[in-house]
Parts: sequence; C-alpha cells; structure tokens
Amino acid sequence: MQRNPPLIPPSEKRRFDPLDRNPGMYFKQERDLSVHAIAPMMGVFVVGNESIADEVEFQVDVIQQTKLEAIDISSNLAFLREHFSSALRRFCFAVYSHDFIFSMLNLRAEQVDHPILITECVCNPVQSRSKLAELLFEGYGVPSVAFGVDAVFSYKYNQQIGVCDKDGLAVWSGLNTSHIIPFVNGEPVFEACCRTNIGGYHVTDYLKQLLSLKYPNHMSNITWEKVEDLKMEHCYVALDYASEVRLFQKGAKEAEEKNRCWQLPWIPPPAEEPPSEEEIARKAAIKEKQGQRLREMAAAKRSSRITELENELQGLEFLLHQLENVQENDVPSFLSETGYISKLEIESAVVRVTQSLKKAKREQVEIEEKMDPSMTEKYTLINIPDNMLSPEQLKEKRKQLFIKTTSEGRQRAKQKRFEEELDRERQNELDEKKRLENPELYLEQLHAKHRELSEKFEQRKRLKVNGTHTNESHNSSGGVGCGERLNAAQKERMRLLTTAAFDRGKGEDTLGTRDEDWQLYKLMSKDIDDDDEGQDEDEAELARVTSRLQDIDPTFVAKSEIGPFQTIVEIPRFRPLTKEDFQIILGVERFRCPEILFQPNMIGIDQAGMDEMAGISIRRLPLKGNSVEERITNSILMTGGSCLFPGMGERLEAGIRKIRPFESPIRVVRASDPVLDAWRGAAAVPFSEQTFSRQDYYEKGEDWLRRYNLRYTF
Amino acid sequence: MEAEVLEANILLPTHLSFKRIQMSEKYPKGHARGRHWKHLKQILQAENYQIYSSNEPNYVNIESPPSMYPSKKFCDITGFEAPYIDPRTNLRYANTDVFKCIRSLPNEYVQRYLALRNAAVVLK
Repeated sequence: MQRNPPLIPPSEKRRFDPLDRNPGMYFKQERDLSVHAIAPMMGVFVVGNESIADEVEFQVDVIQQTKLEAIDISSNLAFLREHFSSALRRFCFAVYSHDFIFSMLNLRAEQVDHPILITECVCNPVQSRSKLAELLFEGYGVPSVAFGVDAVFSYKYNQQIGVCDKDGLAVWSGLNTSHIIPFVNGEPVFEACCRTNIGGYHVTDYLKQLLSLKYPNHMSNITWEKVEDLKMEHCYVALDYASEVRLFQKGAKEAEEKNRCWQLPWIPPPAEEPPSEEEIARKAAIKEKQGQRLREMAAAKRSSRITELENELQGLEFLLHQLENVQENDVPSFLSETGYISKLEIESAVVRVTQSLKKAKREQVEIEEKMDPSMTEKYTLINIPDNMLSPEQLKEKRKQLFIKTTSEGRQRAKQKRFEEELDRERQNELDEKKRLENPELYLEQLHAKHRELSEKFEQRKRLKVNGTHTNESHNSSGGVGCGERLNAAQKERMRLLTTAAFDRGKGEDTLGTRDEDWQLYKLMSKDIDDDDEGQDEDEAELARVTSRLQDIDPTFVAKSEIGPFQTIVEIPRFRPLTKEDFQIILGVERFRCPEILFQPNMIGIDQAGMDEMAGISIRRLPLKGNSVEERITNSILMTGGSCLFPGMGERLEAGIRKIRPFESPIRVVRASDPVLDAWRGAAAVPFSEQTFSRQDYYEKGEDWLRRYNLRYTF
Repeated sequence: MEAEVLEANILLPTHLSFKRIQMSEKYPKGHARGRHWKHLKQILQAENYQIYSSNEPNYVNIESPPSMYPSKKFCDITGFEAPYIDPRTNLRYANTDVFKCIRSLPNEYVQRYLALRNAAVVLK
C-alpha cells in the first residue's frame, strides 16, 4: 500500500548554508576542522515506504554533522577545492556520505532495505548514474533506486505550495553550476535547459583571491571557511554594476557606508604608560641610593689606595734615611736586599709615589693640562733632523711623530664636532625664529621642500624599478633595452663590462687570466654603492622633513599613506602597528564577487550569465508561441543555495526585462527555502512505481539507465 | 584520535553492518590509495554523445553558449571600470593611482591577478 510518509520538516535552528547544501548532504564539522565536502548536486533521501519492524516510516532529515574518517580529511579538503563538475565523479565521498547517513539512521540490518531516491544534476552522464547505482545495489543492497533532478524537485514543491505556476522557469544556482530549466505543464523541458559552470564555489574563490591579493600580510587569516562566512553575510548583487562601481569610484558617502570592515584579532603592544608620580619618585630614590653606594665605594677605594701609597712612601723614606747612614761601599749589598739598585732609583720611586699620592688625594685631575707640557717634552726628538739621531732615537722619533699626528687629529675631530653641534643648534634656533615669525610661509616652504624631495626620491625609485623590471625580464646584468634610460651607474657598468670583455682584441676572450681583471667587479659594485649612498642621504633628508612636517602640521599626511582605494597596504616602518593595520575592508568586493554569476567574463569563463541564460532557455523551447513564453516569465523561481544573495531577484528581473519584449509580464520569486526545497520536493514525489529495481539492474544492466527519466507530476 | 574528534561524533565505526564490503577491506591501511578518478572530460568522452541524436538533451548539449553581450572591462585590482590596459603586464586599470600600484607589484601578484581573469601566461 502506498502510504504517503509524513514529512518531518527540517528543524529551523539549523544554519542554512547558501553554498548549496543540497538537502541530505551537508558535511560540516564543527570546531576547527571544518570540511565542506559535498557531493554536489546530489542529495540522498531515504524515503521509506516499507515499514520495518521497529521503525515505521521515517525520513531522513538534513544532517548537519557528519562523520568523516579521520584518515581522509586531507583528501576531502583536496576534493573540495578541485571539484568542478556537477556530475558526480569521486565516489568515495558518495560512499562516505551514504555510510554516514545510514549509520545515522541506525540501520542494523545486513543491508539497506529501503528504496532510495537520489538527486542528480540535469542530464547526468550515464556513467555517473550507473556507478552510483552500482554502489547502492552492490555495496549496500538497496532494493531500488530512483534518480531525479534537484532543481525540478524544488520547483515542484514550490508549485505545490503555490509560489509558482504550472508553467515557469526554475533558476537554480548551486555550488559549481547554475541551471535554468523551463517548465511546461508541470514537466521540465530538458531540451531547453541551460547550464553555466559558475556557482557559489566560484564566488567564494574569487572573493578569497581578491582578499589575499589585497592583504597579503593577513593571508593566513583569509581561509576558505571564513571567506564563505563573509560571503554569506556581506555580499549582495548590485542592480547595476557599473553605476554602483561609479559610486565607489567617486568616493561618495554612500559608498563609504557600504564598506564593511573586518577587524582581525589584534593585540596592541603593551602601552608604555607615563610612569606615575610614585614610580618616578621611587626610581629617583633608587638611583640616588645606587649613586651613593658607588660614591662610597669609590671613596673607600681611594682612601685605601692613599694609605697604601703613604705606607710605601714611608718605607722608601726610611730606606733613604738608612742609606745615608750606610757607607758608600756597602750600598750595593744593602740595596740588593731591598730590590733597588741605586739611590737614584729610590729617589725616583719616592717622587713617583708622592705624585700618585697627590693625585689620589685630589678629586679631579686635569690631565690635559699635564699633557700639554708633557707633550712638548715628549716630542723633543721630532725637531731634531734625522742624521743627528741614532737608530734607536730614530725609532723613538717616528713613534712620537705618529702619536703627535693622531692626537692632533683627534683634537681636530673633536673641534669639528663641537662646531657642527653649535652650527646645528644655531640652525634650529633660526628655524624656530622663522617659524614663530611667519608660520604659514615656513609651512609652505617646508611643504615645497618635501614635495621636491619626494619627487626626486620617487623618480629615482621609478628608475630603479624600471631598471629592475627590465632586469627581470631580460636576465641580463645590465638591464639594457626598450628605451629605458639607464642611470649613470648602470651606464658605467655596461661600459666596463663591454670594454673589459672585448678589449683583448682579435676575438679572444682572455678576460680573467690576469688577476687585475677581477678588479673590474670591484669597480662595478663600487659604482652601485655610490648610487645607493646618494639615495640614502636623500632618504634621510626626506625622512627628516617628513617628521618635521608631521610635528608641525596636523593636516599633513605623508604621501605613502594615502590610497583612494585600499591597495596592498604597506606598513610604514617608522610607525608602530595600529588597529587599522589589522582591518580588512570589503568595499567593492561585496558586490563584485556575486557579479560573476551574471557576468562570467569577469573570471574568464566564456559563457552567458544568469539573465542571459534565461533568454537562451526560452529561445530553445521547442514549442513556440508568445503565450507560453509569457506564462513562463510570469513565474520565475529562484532556488539553490547561491541565490540567497540580496538583490538577486531585482537584478534577474532587470536582466530578463532587457531581453523580453516591451511590457511582458515578469515575476521573479524566491523559493520558500532555497536550500532545502529540493529535499521537500523529492520527499513529496511518489516514486515507488518508477524505480529502477535491483532486478532491473541485474537483468538490463546499467545502460538502461540512459533512458530512465523520472516523471515528476503527480 | 583527539578527544574533540571523538566528541564531535563524526567518526564512522569501522564496521558498518549494512555494507557488503567494508571500507577497511577496500582501502586497506598502508596501501597506496590509488584512486584515479576520471576527469569530467574523460567521462563525457566515454559517453559517446555523437551516436545519439543531437536533439536529445545531454550533459554537453545544455551547456550555455558564450555571452552575446560585449564584455565590460573592469579594473583587475579595484573593480572600477577600466578603460586602460598596461602594456607590460596586460592588467586593466582604472586610473593613475592604480597604475602606479600595478607598476610596483611583484611579478607573482601580477600573474595571480591575471589568473583571476583566466588571462595568465601558462607555461606548459
């Protein structure tokens, strides 16, 4: 007995995934391993018409979580990224999906005992169908199978609930493809069907690429799943792409409002708060204490040294005193015990010790004052001409000469630095005075200077870039050609290379046999270095002027930071990272990406867009007659996951109006539930008479499936 | 297996009663997974659509033809209308600022932008 199984509607709490989660197959792991593996255009329904002992009819709901054997997660991901056709190719995922569903249903029997209705794409290649049938019959032992087109199911369901009429057009936009199927008398006319290979996958992919190219620093954050979420939340279809884009180009306020900003998680660097009063006081106290300690230590050391020296002095004086008492002859023997050889030495030692004592006792030592008189003494030998000196003295003289020149040089350098400091201070003062006198003029001058410096800089950069570009493309070291003006350094290099290499004459290449030849490269590199040095100076100057301007002028913005469009954002080196650096702005991309559904040329796919497809489909209808067409355009149904973009209905209507004659009735409606309607439609179709049973499979073989076509009306 | 994988209830048991051939038998662990799925083109070729009459709809028949509308040219980088093309890189651009940006792009990005439009130079 044919019982219409009660429909268990899918629960409302589920998150709808406009990426064509055809009911039945909706793999999405929660947590971080979100894998969206789909068998596109395929849904599995277990519509049980036979009752089993313990469970009566039941139907499978949309299953939200799925299981995937952990081993295969990587290949699942690979599958997702590469799958482009809507005909089922990779059956392992079909297997997984089936496994999952059946185990979800807690099937315990030896085989699956229910007939199965599977949705497929329009005009599915027979091979797909047959492989699937094989899988079901042989792998699972299913008694019978039926195939149907998901878009049609969706349309039928909506027809049932009155959203659309018996004659109409189903506009289905799925993951990988979009179909347009006209309906006449409730039956789909497949001869007039039209398919473009653009779907939600392409939209997401386009968005992902655009964002990755614009924000290469954040590429790790721009993942597929995140981009999908962004697409679902923020993308919309513009009514007229050109005018919308012009809004953005002008920079109008509406365009600003349409920008959506995605703030990436960002931790600001720990802010250095100005230390509070106590902090400062505490730190000062600590420093004080440390200073005190150091001073004490130094004082202790000094005093100990002083006592040491005094002791030594005392000892020496005592020695001298004793020496006076000793007779002349006994002096050497007497002295040998003490370690001094003669009286003179002792006396000189005494002198030394008293000097160091005096030094230790004094707080500051004017070394320079001592140095000057000693300098003139030291350099006594210099003025004596060479021939009067002995060889040792000559050596001495050379040493003294050397010391003299170096110390003089050092003094000169110090002097120069000092003068420069004074100079700079004077300059700053002048600057300040000028600024205070006439702030505007000063600002203007500064601006002008900045402009010319930056122009020079940019020009040099341009030349360099051009040079390097030609380098890349020509693979030659000189970067010649195509009318690029080489700068001086490059010209020099070229000259060196050509002359050196070909100078030997007679066509022989003996460059490199002599060691001097390799000096060539040193010359070459030096040239380049010179150029860079000059640039660095200018760069430093530019940076200085820029910072000055930034200090003074609040309205000044360095040129490198301006961009009317958000291009590749460079983070300037001289600024700490701010919150804005971690923002990704979706402006034009919001409606640029879904636009490819209507203009596949933007991606390079040379096919018609959805509005044009509708015209093509109507044109292909076998039976013509205005009334049919009018009836069809009067009920255009949008289904499929990728038709959930806001604004798509209006766009479609505008597009179709362009093709249809003036004032023909056009009505575009969206299905009641674009994602799940196919399931609902399929659940309502009585198909038990039209199945392809296992018997048939064994007898007639797979090829019979070619002529299998489900009849959709009931 | 990690705890979260187990918790999420996403693992299939290794033996499913309703299957005739278990996955583990078909794809034993340790064996090279020599799955060679046919490309769509191969499938379609094997279909031999030429034999059957061209009036019947089949997978290839119903594909939509190239668009009749002249394609509008949009800037590769910003999405604005782009009347100009950079001769060196073949990128479309909308105004001088974009042009400056294009000229300073490294080659990799240029190719990727072109690939978005299916216009990249593919070296086979």
